[in-house]
This record gives sequence, structure tokens and C-alpha cells, in this order.
Amino acid sequence: MTQPPSDLIVFDNVSKFYGDVLGVNKVNLTIAPGITSLVGPNGSGKTTLMNLLTGLVLPTQGSVTVCGLTSKDPERFFKMVGYCSQFDSFPKGITGYELVNSSLLLHGLGGRQAHDLTVEALQRVNLLDAANRKVAGYSKGMRQRIRLAQAIAHHPTVLILDEPLNGLDPMARAESIALFQSIGKQGLHVIISSHILHEVDRISDRVVLLSSGYVVAEGAIHSVRTEVKEHPMQIMVRCSNPSALASRVFALDHAVEAKIHTDGKGVLVRTCDIEKFYLLLNQIVVSGEVDVEAVAPADDDVNSIYQYLIGNDGGSI
Amino acid sequence: MAVYKRAYRPYEGVYTPLRWRFMVIPRFAWSSLFESRVVLGFYFGAFIPALLAAAFIYIVNSPTAQAFLSLQGATFLQVNNLFFMKYLVVQAFFCFLFAALIGPGLMSVDFANDALPLFLSRPISRAEYLLGKFTVIAAILSTITWVPAILLFLLQASLAGFNWFANNLWIAGSILLGSVIWIVVLTLLVLALSAWVRWKVAATALTIVVFFVIPGFGEAINEVLRTYWGKLLNLSYLIGLVWTHLFDGPLTDPQAGTIHPRFIDLPLWTACLMLTFVVALSIWMLHKKLKPREVVR
Amino acid sequence: MQAVIELENLVVRLGGRTILDSLNTSVKGRAIGLLGPNGSGKSTLINTLLGFYEPDGGTARIFGRDIRTHAKQLRSLIGYMPESDSFIAEMTGIRFVRYMAELSGLPPDEAMERAHEAFFYVGLGEQRYRKVGTYSLGMKQMVKLAQAIVHGPKLLFLDEPTNGLDPPGRLRMLNLIREIRDTFGMHIILSSHLLRDVEECCEEVLILKDGRIADYCNLEEERRANRKFIEIETYNGNDGFTKAVESLGCECAWLKNGRAKLVLPPSLEMRELYGAAARHAVQIRKMNFRRDSLEDIFLRAMESTNGVNGTAEKAGQAHGRL
Repeated sequence: MTQPPSDLIVFDNVSKFYGDVLGVNKVNLTIAPGITSLVGPNGSGKTTLMNLLTGLVLPTQGSVTVCGLTSKDPERFFKMVGYCSQFDSFPKGITGYELVNSSLLLHGLGGRQAHDLTVEALQRVNLLDAANRKVAGYSKGMRQRIRLAQAIAHHPTVLILDEPLNGLDPMARAESIALFQSIGKQGLHVIISSHILHEVDRISDRVVLLSSGYVVAEGAIHSVRTEVKEHPMQIMVRCSNPSALASRVFALDHAVEAKIHTDGKGVLVRTCDIEKFYLLLNQIVVSGEVDVEAVAPADDDVNSIYQYLIGNDGGSI
Repeated sequence: MAVYKRAYRPYEGVYTPLRWRFMVIPRFAWSSLFESRVVLGFYFGAFIPALLAAAFIYIVNSPTAQAFLSLQGATFLQVNNLFFMKYLVVQAFFCFLFAALIGPGLMSVDFANDALPLFLSRPISRAEYLLGKFTVIAAILSTITWVPAILLFLLQASLAGFNWFANNLWIAGSILLGSVIWIVVLTLLVLALSAWVRWKVAATALTIVVFFVIPGFGEAINEVLRTYWGKLLNLSYLIGLVWTHLFDGPLTDPQAGTIHPRFIDLPLWTACLMLTFVVALSIWMLHKKLKPREVVR
Repeated sequence: MQAVIELENLVVRLGGRTILDSLNTSVKGRAIGLLGPNGSGKSTLINTLLGFYEPDGGTARIFGRDIRTHAKQLRSLIGYMPESDSFIAEMTGIRFVRYMAELSGLPPDEAMERAHEAFFYVGLGEQRYRKVGTYSLGMKQMVKLAQAIVHGPKLLFLDEPTNGLDPPGRLRMLNLIREIRDTFGMHIILSSHLLRDVEECCEEVLILKDGRIADYCNLEEERRANRKFIEIETYNGNDGFTKAVESLGCECAWLKNGRAKLVLPPSLEMRELYGAAARHAVQIRKMNFRRDSLEDIFLRAMESTNGVNGTAEKAGQAHGRL
């Protein structure tokens, strides 16, 4: 077996069971650098996948290789990986500075170097002034950011973040997102698990959808969508004259359905050939028949892919 | 034919009176408490002394029964202040048990998962919330202390005649006052401990420590320092002391029996002071803990 | 329309610090979003209106009644869904909600009926007979909502209602909130860090910063005013198209993946933009008038108060990148 290139994360037929309980089953994934999002209901295997990536658990079957290393080589492996969990607990009485610094010391770094890296990490998450206060007195958002600081302090190659934006106000969210994007651009891995699908849409290069322990889809969002062929693409056009648009659409042979929206101001078009449809739309608007208000693919985002592939089963409630 | 859409509707009915709103808390607490067989068993067990006492009263007042049992003229066959005090002493022990059994769970369930804001965002104040919890325990303890005791008193009065009733009416007063003091001290203490420690198991442990370990410690002090001030740490001793004075006959009625001197090592005022201190401390603890939101510095 | 909440010089001090500093406003909408960075006093405001903290100065009125003198009366009109976990683990769901309903003043029979209705409404079926301690996070959120609405309040405080919910749960919660707002004559105060949630449910927004009101505006009006900003996403975009659009007089910001934000000159019609697309065989896959007006409003509010905070600027740049 050839050695995979050293900047990929590879899951090779990985399964993980906790006794009888399924974590993940037969996962085969190759993850390239950049921002990858893990999406799925609670209990779908996201946390298991993350634990496998960080080496906190070993697979029952198969192997996980991160940039050429496995957790069998712990010294190098753990230096490479940074993990920010979703759980909000920390040692009693510890200050922000101590939390980050001690984890760096655990990595074997010398005092001076650890201090410098701690300060740098705290600056990146904007917590330098609060560093000497106890973490117990932090607000929820600050606790989230200090955990992030701990994860990035040792400059890991692979950053694994479990719901990292939880509890952050809009500005802190934007800053964190900017931070992840800058890390992603450096050719490193950022693996984020999130429930906020419109943010996943905006920031991820690719997405991995999980449901009940299986990987249901993975890849760049648009390419995933085009592969879901059982569902013709849907486009919602809000316009002034929906019936006129609908009749023009029906004249085409690639249109499957045109449905007028309940408020009478839009048409939902389902078609097997979206390229032809969009070029036709250009013509229709230019001809003046129809005044267009908004055009949006009704299902070309993570939300819709989620609905189609995962739906409401395996979900909460 | 009609199609009914099941939608949520606003509430337009009547509301229960605000004054008695706090009673919702005891009602729910009692219904879940008495689902437990242990609690039920204890509760019924607490009435056994009353039954025995009633039988005793009957025997005392019935020459035929005495003849039947060959007990004519026995000196112990008296129903007096001592009798009622002994009954209350026995019931005090049951009170201990009950308070330790149901007290810790009472507050800590609400604190364990921070449900207090949900209570206090409703038209119920902190005082009413406390009153509700207090009623849960106090009502149960009342039904095993002064309520049966008064009933026994009335039984005796009905059998012994009006004279006995008139001469011993003060005993009824002592029963009431003595029970109320004990119930208040015990309930407040148990609620305070339960509120202080958010975890039911820890609250139970703390209750046991306060009721059993600390008195033991007090006794140890007594032994080592050759004194009896350590008894101040013993709640059952303190209440016994108060009761001794409450039920002390010779001050009012030379015919009444005197109380056993075991309880009169310390002066009465020390016991009163100590009990008042315990009540005040409990109230202070509750005041500190019964907050919907902790203020973060 | 009568004001829902009126604040007059409201001052609240906690732990020696002034958290709310002379707040003055009158809030009227059906669904009002409450926004603000951490430490702005949002939670303190909600806690004060609920009666958990005493104001140190000024007054606050809900439905015209002073919160200090009419506390109990107001609390029967209010429902509260806290952000943090708040439940009694040993009780079954239905018993818990009944308990809360009776505490709010409903007679026992009514409380039972309405508790079941509330459970139906939030979508919890058989789970209502299980102990709340065994519920998943999503179910606990729904129980919190159920106990908040069971007594039919007139004003609902929702604090981060979609916290921890997975996507279907989040959609369900937002749908519920919109239904409640539209159908039942309840007013809603929605406090959240997710601007998208607030945008989808609220018509008005109150923004706090450093214990003061940074902005209070009506989103509907803002959206109507933003007609000349559009966002598009193109496929097969090429330089010809880019030049054509710019030559039409549009200000453009081109982002990755074919996205762009355009400011149209007042005289330009949509047809001309599409004409450019048709000529260059470019597909406009997405087009809408700017929807992130709330983000703009929020950032503007953050930047404008008390001198520039470095955070707000950096965030503004970050948003520009997106």
C-alpha cells in the first residue's frame, strides 16, 4: 500500500463500536486541507469521528491516518492535532493564561517558548486582557474562546473544532470564522462540526454529512448536490408575473414541474437541466415579460442536501 | 362535516387565588412522596405509638380492662403530663426520620438543574416558595406530633371527665407549643441544608452529620473536658430540655408528676438561645441560596 | 399600539458595577429581537424585567404596568424560556409542565389539558411520559418552550431558543416561534447571538452595547429601504460579464465562488443586468436584494457608540470578506 500524500486525512474502512452501540460504520474518507464541515443530527457519529481524528479513541476496525501519522506514534501525532471540544468544563480555579500555558508545557515545550505561544494564542482570540482572571468567571463566549486558544496554541496542522461558535456573539463569530479561514488558507486542516447550516455554507470548502453512523455524502457542496439525482434541481424565482414565467418554463422539455408559490408572487421550478434554465431566464427577463425580484436555488445549499439525505429521521425529537 | 385544526389557544379561564398559590408546591410534593412505599411505610409506622397510647388511655380509664389484665391499682397507670411528653419524645424521633428522609430531596431537586428561575418568573415570591416547601414537611410532621397528641388528649378528657380536662388543659397548650417549636427548628434546618448542597445525596449525608455526628462530637467534648456544655450541640437534647420545662407539672399542679431530671443539666435559656440561633442560621442560609440568579463578579 | 416595554432611565447595578446605564426606550413590535455582544447587559435586562434583579434607578413598565409595583400581576402574563438548562430531572415531562402551569394560576384540570396541548404543540409525543432527566438536548429545549407557553402568556422571553438544536430542530423551533407570533397574540422578545434567527422571526430589533442602547430599529422598514443593494451568485462568470456590469454603473464587490455584491445606480433596471448576463452566456444562479441588513445594522451599532472598538472594525473587515 502506497503511503498517502502527507497532507491528507484518510479514513480507511473505519468502524467504531462502543460495546453494542454504534459510533460509526465503514467510513471511507479522504480529506484535503482547507475547511471541512461535519454535519449531521446529534448521535450521528460526528463526535466519534472527531475522537478518532484526535486519537482519543482507536477504531474497532480500519485505520485513521492523519498527514501520514497514526495515533500509534503519539509523540508526533498529538503535536499535530489541536482539539476544541464542545464541553464546557475545566480544572477548578484555573486562569485563562494557565489553561493555555499548561497544555503547551504538556507538549514538552520549554517555559519561555510556552509563554510566547500562550500570549500569541490569547491575542488571536482576543482574550489577552482577561488572561489572568479565573475561567470560572468568564462568560460563555469567553470560555469558548479560551478553549479555542488552547487548541491553536501549539500551531497544530489539523484543527478539530466541535461547535466552536456556540455562545459567541456575532462579532466574535465573524472573528473566529476569519481565524479559521486564515488557517485554512495556510494549507492546514480545519475540521468543524456545526449545526448552523448557513454558516457551514458560507465558510466550508467541503462538507461531510453523517447520519446514524454512516457517511451519507461528502465533497464540495455544489458537486454533492448535482450528484443527488433523484431530486431534480429546484429554483425559486420571485417575480411579478409568475404565470407567464411558468408557461414559458413549460414550453421546455427539461422542466419537470413549475409550481406557483402560495402568495402568488413566485414560481418554484424543478428542472433536470439547470444550465439551460438559467440561460433561458436571462432571455425572459431581457424580454421584459417578467420583473424578477429574487432568484434562488431552493435546494443547492447544505440545508437542502441535509433535508434530502438525512431528513428528520435520526434527528432530535 | 367540519375539519378541526388543532392550534394552540390563549388562556381565558379563571385563575386560582394568589394567596393560596404556594399550596401547589406541597400538593405536588406530597403526591410524589407518597408514591414511595418506604415513605408510606414509615408514615403508617409513625402512628403505631398513637394506637398504643390510645389503648393505654383506655385501660387507665377502664376498671374492667384493668381487672382483665390483672393490673388494678398499678401506679404507672396514669395519664398525665409525663405521659404526653413521653409520647411526643417518641414522635420526635419519627420526626427526625421523616425530616431526614424527605427533606434533602425537597430543595435539591429544584437546585440541581437550576429550575429556580422557572419558579420565580411566575407569580410566586421567594418567601412563598419557601413557605410551600416548609408546608410539605411541617404538615406531615404535624400529623404525627400534635394532631394525634391532641386527639389522645381529647380521648382522655372524654373518658376521664370534665374535671380532669379543666385541670390539665395546660398540657394541650404545651403539646401545641412544644410540637410547633420542634417542627419549625427541624424543618428550617433540613430545608437550609438541602438548599445549601445542590445534590440530594450530599444533602442527606449532611443532614445525618448534623443530627447524629455533631451530637456525638458534643458528647466527646463533654467527656474530654468534663463538662456538659457539649450537649448544646445535641438538638434532641435541646428540645427535650425545652419540653421538660413546658411539661413540668409541679409549677402549676402539685398532683402532676414531675419530669425525670435527666434533662436538666443546662439552664433553659441556653437551649432557647441555641434553638433560636439554629433557626436564624437556617433562615440566613436559605436567604443566601434562594436566588434566581447568582451575581457574577 | 400600546407599548410592550417602556424603559425610563433604567439603571441596574450588580456586584458594584453599573450594568445597565440609563436605558430609555419604548418597544412596540410583535416580535422584538434583543441583540448585543457579551457583556452588553442583555441578560441583565431580561432578568430585571422578570423581576430577578431590583432596578437601582429609573423605571421599567411592561404593558403599562411598573415592574416594581405590579410584579406578581406581570409575572402571570409572562413566559420565560431560559438559555441554560432549567428543569426538574425526576419529574416526567407532563408532570413538570403541569406543575409550572398550576404555579402560574391555572386550576388543576385546566393545567392538565393545557400541558398536553403544549406538548402536542411543541411536537413531543410519547416522550412526555418520560422523566425530563432522560431527555436529549433538543427535547429539553422543547420542554422549556412548553412550560413557557402553557399558561398563555402575553409576553414571551426566549433566550437563545435554538441553542444546541440540530438543523431540523432549529427549523422546527423557528417555525414555532413564527406561528406563535402570528397566531396567538403573544409578543415575543427573542434574545440571540444568531442574527439569522432574529432576522427570520422579528420585525424590530433592540441592540445593546456596554449597558446602553446602541440602536432600536424596524427591520421591515430597513429592508424596504435597501432596494438598490443586491447580491448575486454567478456560474460561468467571465471577464466580459464583469466589465459589462461595471460599465452599467454598478459598484461591485466580487467574492469567491462567483458571488458578488452590487450597488445598482438608481436608474438601472434589472433587465439590463440580465441583458449583460445573456450576452455573455453567464448564469445568474442566485439573486436577491440584500438580506444581511441586520448584520449591517448590528455592525454599525457596534462601531458608532463610545468611540471605535478594535473588535468592531476587525469584524467589519471580516464581514467584508464574506
